[in-house]
Amino acid sequence: MTSKVYVALRVKASPERAFEAFTGEIGAWWRPSGLFQTTPRPGVLSFEGGEGGRLIETRAGGKVFEIGRIRLWDPPRRLVFAWRQANFPPDLHTEVEVAFEAVGEETRVSVEHRGFHNVPDGAARHGWPDQLLLLRLAEFWRGQIAQMGERLG
Amino acid sequence: MADANFPSLSSAVCYVDPRAALAFLEQAFGFEISMLIEDGAGNIAHSEMRFGSSVVMVGNEWSADHKSPRSIGGKNTQTVHIQIETDVDAHCERARAAGFEIIVEPETQFYGDRTYRCRDPEGHIWTVAQTVATVSAAEMEAESGLKITGWA
Repeated sequence: MTSKVYVALRVKASPERAFEAFTGEIGAWWRPSGLFQTTPRPGVLSFEGGEGGRLIETRAGGKVFEIGRIRLWDPPRRLVFAWRQANFPPDLHTEVEVAFEAVGEETRVSVEHRGFHNVPDGAARHGWPDQLLLLRLAEFWRGQIAQMGERLG
Repeated sequence: MADANFPSLSSAVCYVDPRAALAFLEQAFGFEISMLIEDGAGNIAHSEMRFGSSVVMVGNEWSADHKSPRSIGGKNTQTVHIQIETDVDAHCERARAAGFEIIVEPETQFYGDRTYRCRDPEGHIWTVAQTVATVSAAEMEAESGLKITGWA
């Protein structure tokens, strides 16, 4: 078994538009988090290529950090990518699945982040027990999707 | 929590089997899961469902003083009320089809709401209403014999 953090929010857009905003415009709506730092000094996130491509963060000096490989690219329904923070141990990879489901004229965007309980004591855990770490992670993702939703009106 | 849209009041409801509850509440009432946290052993640590502008948290019997009605002889100490805008009769049929017991069938009340009352598979009682008529305080007082204040 692995831990799962799942959040879902409705956004005012079609699945096509929501998928495009998530993947193509992430650099515009993503808000770096002090709690879930991908890199010590935040850069700009972007998806590079489709399946087999990657989610990267480009730092101010142009240096690129790979957050994770894209494992599934199925527009406008589903997207799966690996998630690694610079403060993770080298062998730790968690996984994020994003789904886009039409509900009337809106889209229910859900994020499921799996395996985060494997984050060991250290910089990425802040000394928190699993339950608090996972709740904060859920709030982090809900905030990110809400940011994307604001962009979509 | 950490969400500007989180309502000022919400209810946390206890179940012996919260996973089953998430499924039957979605099936019966159309609640949508908005947050679900499972620990490394696959147990539900926290969950939230959304309905309109409201939130209900669906949890387990997380302390000695938190019990599902199933564990305490079917008793309820509070009920959650659902106010809908359309077709309360269809809402009732959906709840019945999802295995909820209809305690009181839909009936129009003197205050202008059509209501029904049901019991979910673990014994929680839910009330559901749709406003179907505009009734003044004077009309309600005449009809019911009650003294009514605070009615818009």
